[in-house]
Amino acid sequence: MQPSLPPESTDAPVTLASCVAEVSDIFARAFHILGGWRDLIVSAGPVQAAELDALVERLVVPALRGTPRAMTPDPASLMTGAGFIAAPQFVTGREFHFAWWLGPLAGTPLLGTTTAPSRLDLAARVNTEFLRDFRELEWYQVPEATARTHVTGPYVDHLCTFDYVITLTMPVRVGEEMVGVVGADVSVKSLEQVLLPHFLALASPVALVNASGRVVTSTEPSLPPGDVLPNGRHPLADYVQVPCPGTPFLLAMRVRAAPH
Amino acid sequence: MEPQLRPGAREAIFAQLDEAGRAEQVARRLTDAIILGVLTPGERLPSEQELARRFGVALITVRDALVMLRDAALVETRRGREGGSFVIQTDAPHGTLLQSRLRGLAQVELSDLFVYFSTILEGCAERAALRASPADADRLRGWLHTAPGSGAAGARATAGGFLLELAVLSQSPRLVREHIRLQAEFGPLLLLALGDPQARDRVAAGNREIAAAIARGEPLAARTLVADQARELSEWLLAAKTRTERGGPLYAAVATA
Repeated sequence: MQPSLPPESTDAPVTLASCVAEVSDIFARAFHILGGWRDLIVSAGPVQAAELDALVERLVVPALRGTPRAMTPDPASLMTGAGFIAAPQFVTGREFHFAWWLGPLAGTPLLGTTTAPSRLDLAARVNTEFLRDFRELEWYQVPEATARTHVTGPYVDHLCTFDYVITLTMPVRVGEEMVGVVGADVSVKSLEQVLLPHFLALASPVALVNASGRVVTSTEPSLPPGDVLPNGRHPLADYVQVPCPGTPFLLAMRVRAAPH
Repeated sequence: MEPQLRPGAREAIFAQLDEAGRAEQVARRLTDAIILGVLTPGERLPSEQELARRFGVALITVRDALVMLRDAALVETRRGREGGSFVIQTDAPHGTLLQSRLRGLAQVELSDLFVYFSTILEGCAERAALRASPADADRLRGWLHTAPGSGAAGARATAGGFLLELAVLSQSPRLVREHIRLQAEFGPLLLLALGDPQARDRVAAGNREIAAAIARGEPLAARTLVADQARELSEWLLAAKTRTERGGPLYAAVATA
């Protein structure tokens, strides 16, 4: 983990608003990357599986090689997995097609350790139930239902990375039809490395929470990642919450004394 | 009918192994999965190369393990394009194998295993109750309703999947990893009681109560209920070991595994 550097020293002071803007900016740029992938997949038109896989690999694997650096947040460097998941029958004759790559893995129970990006090999996996069900999973189902980008999590990915992640997905549409989603997993750890220096520059504790109040990153020690705001120790009245535009996240700042 | 299982339960069969006695470990992992119906008769195992990759062992280790499985008449190997290693179709229950597996573990090992299992589960349940959103709680309860499968194998899949969900709801990657490792190594034994219809009903009722406690956001109640369930599974297994050590059957009344 990088030491937390102070935000650019000579620039404007860090405020709640500037922290909110930072969160929005990171997700906007991550979705911008996904948008680029989407456009190239759409413009490739109907393709065979091998062609599609080669295209997606070329697009996403460079993103999975980076390492996050505080204060210079290349959103691609936060990604631990990325790819394209085709809708049924988009790839000729295939009910399902996952073109998904994973970044290096450290000692995961099912997939072991890898040092370079590797393809998620669902064909080799014994479980087909997951394949049958993926259209009901939040990261696929919401973009399909709303035709909009979606952010899932944070949650423990218990299938691949065994990490605490946030999943970004964007529908890939041809006309009125969704032909799949492009997506990326962002590890909470990487996101923290980028956001924490900003949050620490604020005088009051803040917590970045999702729409359910689930904490992503926080400078309030009694409200760690994974906890939910409000809870028994943290009533809602103790916080002001500011939405981060373009994301489902809110930045909650404590405005009353710390809990006892 | 092919049992429909959540990813965790089946994937865990193939989780990576420790160093010592690797061929025996591969054979044991697959044997447990076969005799308890996680891998079903007629099912083709992944290729030797794929098994080696998944377990994180050498190809020769996998081949040695498959020889052990063939000698035990659990798999057969067919050649040709549609070839591979297949779980043998058999009507005979695998009671003898299960009994020898149970006798191979000391009472002190089994009870310690449950101390560890229970501790992890209690932590998962307590955290899940503190941290589950209403939507999470709904999903957990829905999982109990829609979870497929009847009989022993279905009940084990449901219970194993439910317990994994608890770990996921704790929001702790470490607890999830530990839980999967434990289920991979000992899952079939931990849930052996579910071959007993009465224990099965009690566990199913217990799971509903656990899900309800989590939905109500009551961490201590969830912890206590999970501990009760772990104790029930533990006592059942120790009783079964005592029975088999005395030369009796694995299941006291009607054998359904």
